[in-house]
Amino acid sequence: MPEAEAIRLAQQGNAAAFERLYRLHNRRVYSLCLRMVSNTAEAEDLTQEAFLQLFRKIATFRGESAFSTWLHRLAVNVVLMKLRKKSGTETSLDEMTEPDEDSGGPRRDFGTLDLRLSGSIDRVNLQRAVEQLPPGYKAVFVLHDVQGYEHNEIAEIMQCSIGNSKSQLHKARMRLRELLHEAVRDKAREDRKAASAESGSED
Amino acid sequence: MATITCKDFLDRLESWMEGDVHSDSQAHLRNCPHCRSLVDDLKGIRSEARSWGAEEAEPSARVWASLRSQLEQEGLIRPADAAKTTWFGGWFASLPRPALASAYLTLLIAGAFAVSRPMSRPSNEARWLAASQDSTMPLRAQLIAEQNSFASFNNANPVVNASLHENLAIVDNYIALCEKSVQEEPQNEVARDYLYQAYQQKADLLAQMTERGENNR
Repeated sequence: MPEAEAIRLAQQGNAAAFERLYRLHNRRVYSLCLRMVSNTAEAEDLTQEAFLQLFRKIATFRGESAFSTWLHRLAVNVVLMKLRKKSGTETSLDEMTEPDEDSGGPRRDFGTLDLRLSGSIDRVNLQRAVEQLPPGYKAVFVLHDVQGYEHNEIAEIMQCSIGNSKSQLHKARMRLRELLHEAVRDKAREDRKAASAESGSED
Repeated sequence: MATITCKDFLDRLESWMEGDVHSDSQAHLRNCPHCRSLVDDLKGIRSEARSWGAEEAEPSARVWASLRSQLEQEGLIRPADAAKTTWFGGWFASLPRPALASAYLTLLIAGAFAVSRPMSRPSNEARWLAASQDSTMPLRAQLIAEQNSFASFNNANPVVNASLHENLAIVDNYIALCEKSVQEEPQNEVARDYLYQAYQQKADLLAQMTERGENNR
C-alpha cells in the first residue's frame, strides 16, 4: 500500500493503514530516539509516544509538509520534552543549544587544543560524546550528520531558521571535538597512572 | 594573496564546513597546523557520524503491540472485524436496500459456500483449494457478468456516480486480498468467511448500482 493511500485510509481509522505507516517509518524514528537517549527501553517508549501523537493527529494532516518531516517533528518534540523533564527544567531551544561559558559551551580559543583526534574518533567515543551534548545541539547534530537531513528540513522539524540550524550544527561539532579531546586526555592520564602503578609494584 | 589569521579562519569555519571554500582560507590552512588539525577533526567527526547513520535499528514487537492496543482503547482504530463491516456498512446504511438483486446473489454465494464447507479431512489443502475454487469461480464469473451489465448505468449525479465506482474499486481490492488469503490457506475457515463477506459486499454494492441506474432511466 503506497504511503499516500495508507494516510488516507488511516484518516478513516483503518487498522492496516496505521500498521503500514508504522512499518514504513518505525526504524528511522526509533533510530533517532535511540541516538538521542542512548537507552533502548526509553527509545522504544519515545517511539511509541511519537507514533501515538501522530495517529491522534493524523486526521488533521493535509500534506502541507512531507509526512516524514511531520512525523520527525513530533518525534523530536517528544524526545526534547523528555530530556527537558529529565533535566528538571523547562528550557527553551536557545537555552538548550546555547550553554554559557561556565556550563561548557563551545570555546572559540581552539588554539589550546593541540592534539589531533585522528584514530580516536571511533563509534564508542563519538556516542559517549554525543550523550554529553545539550539536547538542542544533540538534536541538530543527530538529524544532520547522523540521520542525513538537510538544513531546510531540520529548520522545518525544529521550527527554526536555516541559519540557526547551521549555526547549532557547527557549535555541536566544535563541542564534540572538545569532548573527544577530553576523553583522549583522560585516557592518556589513566594510562600513565596504570603504567606508574605497574612500575611501582615492580620496585 | 591576502593572508588571514586563525581568528579570521575560525570565523569562516562554519561556512567552510558547509562547502564555501575561499582561496585565502585554503592558503591559511596549508600553512597553519592548528587550523588544519581542527578541520581534520571536524571532518572525522562528520564522517564517523555518517557511518553511524547508515545503521538503523528496529524497535521490538512490543512497541507496535502496545501502540495498537492504545489506539484501539482510544477508538482511533477499529478492530479488523468492525473496520471490515463499517467500510461499507456505514455507506450502505444511508441507502435503501434493493432486495431482489442482492438476495439473488447472496443466495448463490451462501449456497456455494455451504456446499464447499463440509470436508471430512481439512488437512488436505489441495482438496480444500479445489473445493473452494469449484464453488467460488462460478460466483466470481456471475459477479463479473453482473458488473458488466451495470457498466452502462450511470447516475445523473456525478458525485454519487463517482462514489459508487470508487466503492466498487475498494470492494474489488478487498476481494482480491481475500482470494489471495484463501489461495494461501484454503483450509482456513476465517479466510473463507472473509471471502464470503467480500462477495456479499460486492453483491450489495452491485444491487445498489442497479437500483440507482434504474431510478435514473
